[in-house]
Amino acid sequence: MSRRRTALKILIFVPYMLVLYILQAMLFPYLKIAGTAPLILPLAVSGAALFNGRVTGGVIGIVAGMLCDMSFNQPTIVFTIFLAIAGVILGAFCESVLVRGFPSYLLSSLALLIACAVVQMFPLLFFRGVQLGPLLSVALVQTLYSLLFTIPVYYLARFISRLF
Amino acid sequence: MKDFITKKGIYIAIAAVVIAIIAAISVALSGGRGDIATMLSQPFFRPIRNAITSMVDGLEQIYNYMYNYDQIEAENQELRERVAELEEEYREYTQMSQEVDRLRELLGFSETREELKFTPVSVISWTASNYSSTFTISRGSNAGIELYDAVMTSAGYLVGQVTGISESSATVTTILDTSMNVGAILYETGETGVACGDFRLFRDGKLRMDYVGDSDSTIIGDTVVTSGESGVFPSDLVIGYVESVGEEGSNLNTYAVITPAADIEHVTEVFVVTEQAVSQEAGQ
Repeated sequence: MSRRRTALKILIFVPYMLVLYILQAMLFPYLKIAGTAPLILPLAVSGAALFNGRVTGGVIGIVAGMLCDMSFNQPTIVFTIFLAIAGVILGAFCESVLVRGFPSYLLSSLALLIACAVVQMFPLLFFRGVQLGPLLSVALVQTLYSLLFTIPVYYLARFISRLF
Repeated sequence: MKDFITKKGIYIAIAAVVIAIIAAISVALSGGRGDIATMLSQPFFRPIRNAITSMVDGLEQIYNYMYNYDQIEAENQELRERVAELEEEYREYTQMSQEVDRLRELLGFSETREELKFTPVSVISWTASNYSSTFTISRGSNAGIELYDAVMTSAGYLVGQVTGISESSATVTTILDTSMNVGAILYETGETGVACGDFRLFRDGKLRMDYVGDSDSTIIGDTVVTSGESGVFPSDLVIGYVESVGEEGSNLNTYAVITPAADIEHVTEVFVVTEQAVSQEAGQ
């Protein structure tokens, strides 16, 4: 019964992720603030992990990661692996430590967004010799801008999680 | 009642005859324009008559509107559809007109560069990443596009390079991206260098050219073109124009800030250079 419920939740999360992908890949590149677009797919991973634990968090992490890589016009490797691991870790953390509420969601989303920015900055910093200062300023704007979307993403993730 | 008719009736009849005679005389005197009573009453009754006329007209219009409502509605719908059709036709016409302009521009360019062959493609989507500058185009290997093919506008301005490919689409990395390095020449001075993406400039839609020999000799506004030395990019494609010159690092290496000739962030249709056979032969 529990497995079936998890599968159903994941099935409902997938179209939700697709909507977020459409927003991230097709709308937000035109709604930049200071030349920076927000990143909302990781927010859904955080929500799925918080309300449903590590299994759903991990599966949603894979889907979100693939969609993220696609939206970045890059092979589905880096974010697919990273968000899957992040979903499992966040899910396990939420199962044992965090209380299921908005402050916990905000905190875990902030941590995940910072980690995403680090993953994005890594190759530029270490392989292309880009200076840290400009990268950090983009990371800061990206993280703060993305946090604006935590409220709708949180309530939708909570709604889906409470369906079954 | 009988008395009233016999006594008063005579007076009333007389009064009526008198009034009729006065009216007849006044009509005769006024040359047929109306009797004195009418003329005297006109200023009083005209506004009332006008008001009543307007009211009747209004009621008539409402009646007609209600009576013909279905017909008007159908006509309105028909007109709306026609307007939508015309708007669609106008959009198509505008698009075709723009395409014709681009192709005409390309024709002019290709006449001067007969060694190059182009494939027109549309830009499907831009990357959502804030750390790179890439976009996806509508055609891939099925259209003869290959990895590392150069991408340019119809005017021959360099946009980028194909860095990812599938059968039906391809990914283009623009010259603004930090991974891009293009052999370049300053047109006026002939100085060579490498035009490359710089993260500090990339969000302003600019790039830089490194290894510029001497900052004093560099001319602001000079045209930067591809050198074609690597064989990847065709030679003499316009990259952009020198905006400013600076020095950095302990060796005070000179670099130039380049404004791209192509409006890279707003391109909707680009051309992939699928063949540059003669130029390569010439290079060899």
